[in-house]
Amino acid sequence: MTMLSSAPGGASVRGPVTPPPSALTTKRRTQGGVILAVPALVWYLVFMVGPLVAIFVIAALHWPGMLQPVSFAGTGNISAVLDDPVFWDAVRNTAVQLAVAVPLMIIGAYMLGYYVAQKPPGHRVLRYLLFIPGLISTPAKAMVFYAVLSPDGLLNGALDKAGLGSLTDAWLASPSTALGSLILLDVWSGIGFTAVLFAARLGSVPDEIGEAAQLDGAGHWRAMWRIHFPVIRDFVGVVTMLQFLWTLFGSAQNVLLLTQGGPGSSSTTLSFLVYQKAFIAADLGYSQTVGVALFLVGLAGLLTIRRVFRQNY
Amino acid sequence: MKFGRSWLPAHIFAWLYMVLLVVPLYYLLVSAFKTNDQIFGSPFSLPTSLSTANFTESFSSAHLGPAILNSMLVTVLALALTLVLAIPAAFAIARAEGRLGALVERVFSLGFLIPTFAALFPTFLLAAATGLFHTRAFMVLFLPATAMPLSVVILVQFMRTIPREMEEAARMDGASTFAVLRHVYTPMCMPGIATILLLNFLTFWNEYLYSLVIIGPDPDLRTVQVALPTLKSLTGTDYGILTAGTVLTLVPVWVVYTVLQKRMQQALVSGAVKM
Repeated sequence: MTMLSSAPGGASVRGPVTPPPSALTTKRRTQGGVILAVPALVWYLVFMVGPLVAIFVIAALHWPGMLQPVSFAGTGNISAVLDDPVFWDAVRNTAVQLAVAVPLMIIGAYMLGYYVAQKPPGHRVLRYLLFIPGLISTPAKAMVFYAVLSPDGLLNGALDKAGLGSLTDAWLASPSTALGSLILLDVWSGIGFTAVLFAARLGSVPDEIGEAAQLDGAGHWRAMWRIHFPVIRDFVGVVTMLQFLWTLFGSAQNVLLLTQGGPGSSSTTLSFLVYQKAFIAADLGYSQTVGVALFLVGLAGLLTIRRVFRQNY
Repeated sequence: MKFGRSWLPAHIFAWLYMVLLVVPLYYLLVSAFKTNDQIFGSPFSLPTSLSTANFTESFSSAHLGPAILNSMLVTVLALALTLVLAIPAAFAIARAEGRLGALVERVFSLGFLIPTFAALFPTFLLAAATGLFHTRAFMVLFLPATAMPLSVVILVQFMRTIPREMEEAARMDGASTFAVLRHVYTPMCMPGIATILLLNFLTFWNEYLYSLVIIGPDPDLRTVQVALPTLKSLTGTDYGILTAGTVLTLVPVWVVYTVLQKRMQQALVSGAVKM
């Protein structure tokens, strides 16, 4: 990767070439310098950090609609949320979604990325195609899936043709398959894009490592998991964190576009519940309380994934 | 032989996924040129004619024309603002020696942990409070903020590779701090600027949920990602029109990808690596 080599050193590493600056230039640098970062910092605090803090404030308010009077609710929202069976459905759905989608995506993508990085015949075509889900917007992906999974869509048509008409289903509108369809969409689009990331990272692992493994008579399976995996373990951890966050927070969009959380609450996820309570049910305190829960789940997940991928260090 | 028989399962696995990936996209593309009868009758056959009827129909029924212009407007202006904010900030951090610079850098890199989707409702309140609810202007102001952490961190790393001697030479000629930024640092970190432009082009063009809530459904203002799903309810189950509309929204991204494939993959990879 030229990109990786052209910007060497992480955020904490300074190039050894830097000469010790004289006192004069140091002073001038800090003076002229940090002020230039202020606009970006203000922007970032106003539009990103401010709203984030506001989630916690609104979670403590009783606010039954935009134009309704606001009052302090204390922990009232928390008990309202915990007593609501829909919330627990959403917790269960999110747990299922994360437990199925993230491991499938990461393991599948790692194996696929390893395969592509070995430069098998046709690897250029593979790389080009694998990347496509990373380019397509969420609404466009949802429309593709809608065309495939709707009652008279591609999948049911194919099943009919194959004489398996009894297996057809209204995939997105049936309680038993709605959540599964959403997970399928995550995995379908996640594997390809993640595999390209892994292939790129594996491409910068020195060839000698693989060659040494072959001389030792290690099979491909062993080379993949025992030799290459530990080398890029950190990177796998970072990508897992990203996919975890995207799946956890991003599911609101797919749910909104494809199932609206239904039928019933069979495909309501936590992030969709935040959206639905805020913009459809207008129960703002409830919505942001779930938002806080979502944030804490995200934080806990990040720390856990970090630990899992660092344990050998 | 490197790819001997033991690789057979790997070949099968990889190309099977490829088929699963390509079939829906192929279906999307060919359906855009067919009528509903043809789609149901022979979903995989090539279209019999390259009729653009579906495209014009989707274009007019979902008002895609103004929507594409709106998306371009928001994307271009937000990209410009991102650069205006991120380049000086990265310049300041890359050159700062003191503790303050390190602190500012740390604040930006923590931004990776802030999930943008979580704060949708408070952001909506902010839009309402500033009187910018249902405007494209708020998205132009808001999107660069979401892009700030990644853009600043990537640019800082590029700027750190620029030798100090370059600046000292310019200083000798009497260049001001601004002149150093403009004539030394900015030209020298063009690859970094290209990277963040590409990355942010993808995120800004594809942004959905915030555009939906903040710009709203007004056909004169909404972006293409908001307009697209309306085809589903507008046309009922006319898949030809739905798929044609979807294809239309993909064209700009696909063109950029095909022209800049290598660079874009590198950009996205570096985006993930820097986190």
